[in-house]
Amino acid sequence: MSTHPHPHDHSHEVTHDHTPCADASEAPPGYYEVMEIAVRELLIEKQLIGPGEIRRQIEVLDSRSPALGAKVVARAWVDPDFRARLLTNGRKACEDFGISFYDDTELIVLENTETCHNLIVCTLCSCYPRPVLGLPPDWYKAKPYRARAVKEPRAVLAEFGTVIPADVEIRVSDSTAQVRFLVLPRRPAGTDGWSEEALAALVTRDAMIGVVTLDSQPLTESDGEA
Amino acid sequence: MNHSEELLRRLPNDIGGLPAEAIRRTDHPLEPWEKRCHALADVLDFHKIINTEEKRRGVEALGAEMVGALTYYERWIATFAVILFQKRILAPDELAKRMDEVAARHSKVLP
Repeated sequence: MSTHPHPHDHSHEVTHDHTPCADASEAPPGYYEVMEIAVRELLIEKQLIGPGEIRRQIEVLDSRSPALGAKVVARAWVDPDFRARLLTNGRKACEDFGISFYDDTELIVLENTETCHNLIVCTLCSCYPRPVLGLPPDWYKAKPYRARAVKEPRAVLAEFGTVIPADVEIRVSDSTAQVRFLVLPRRPAGTDGWSEEALAALVTRDAMIGVVTLDSQPLTESDGEA
Repeated sequence: MNHSEELLRRLPNDIGGLPAEAIRRTDHPLEPWEKRCHALADVLDFHKIINTEEKRRGVEALGAEMVGALTYYERWIATFAVILFQKRILAPDELAKRMDEVAARHSKVLP
């Protein structure tokens, strides 16, 4: 369990590990924050977790945002081989692309097409493709979205301002602790010849959850062979 | 199906398909302690102390009333404490004592 290689200098490390929250200008921590601090200190003292591990994991969490997923999507749009690998094994393709998976989850990438629109949800809790999108928004974790997405996806989409034509199938995928999903949105019209970077800038978090689609781009921006 | 049969078919977290109100597109940047709590969840998972599924079941076991009364990360830290007690990694009085110490320490740094 305590296989981390660091020497244990408890009095030093433990005293300093809580400093990020010991800001004298702030109000005293609330009950649950006190609980979090106490649990963390005790686990470190028992050498069950390493003194710097929480901070390092916060850095990992901070390094993940929808911008990462957007790069994956843009690459899939411009590189058919990558797209094929992404749809075959999402995690492997993302890892090959340089995105590490810090958790023990599989990633299934769902491609939106002319005939099928995908939506992801976690009805039981808040499972989400965190390595590629960061942490989920609050509404994704709240009851209305979790309860309704699987039952009345078109009504849910309408609340996000999204109307999917009636002849397009809507497929809702329910995430689990082990299996996470990412929607590969359709490439917007009017983006022929755009650079991968410019394409990535169009891709939003909500489009990768599937609650919105990406707008067509004005033709004026698509001239030239960028 | 009568009410008790309906309850039996659905554990508290199993809300997919139930009627619910309109979606409020809320979000908030995590408080520092909430982010530490999230990182703690990941680290507990890495060390195979508490995995994601255990955490989910633990939150479920808090019961509907507590789930309704606590915020998202409050449920997580409460769940971690309960599971750590169950696994005999922490003792309740040990945690209580440390929480008192933490609270006292923070009240002292106030001006």
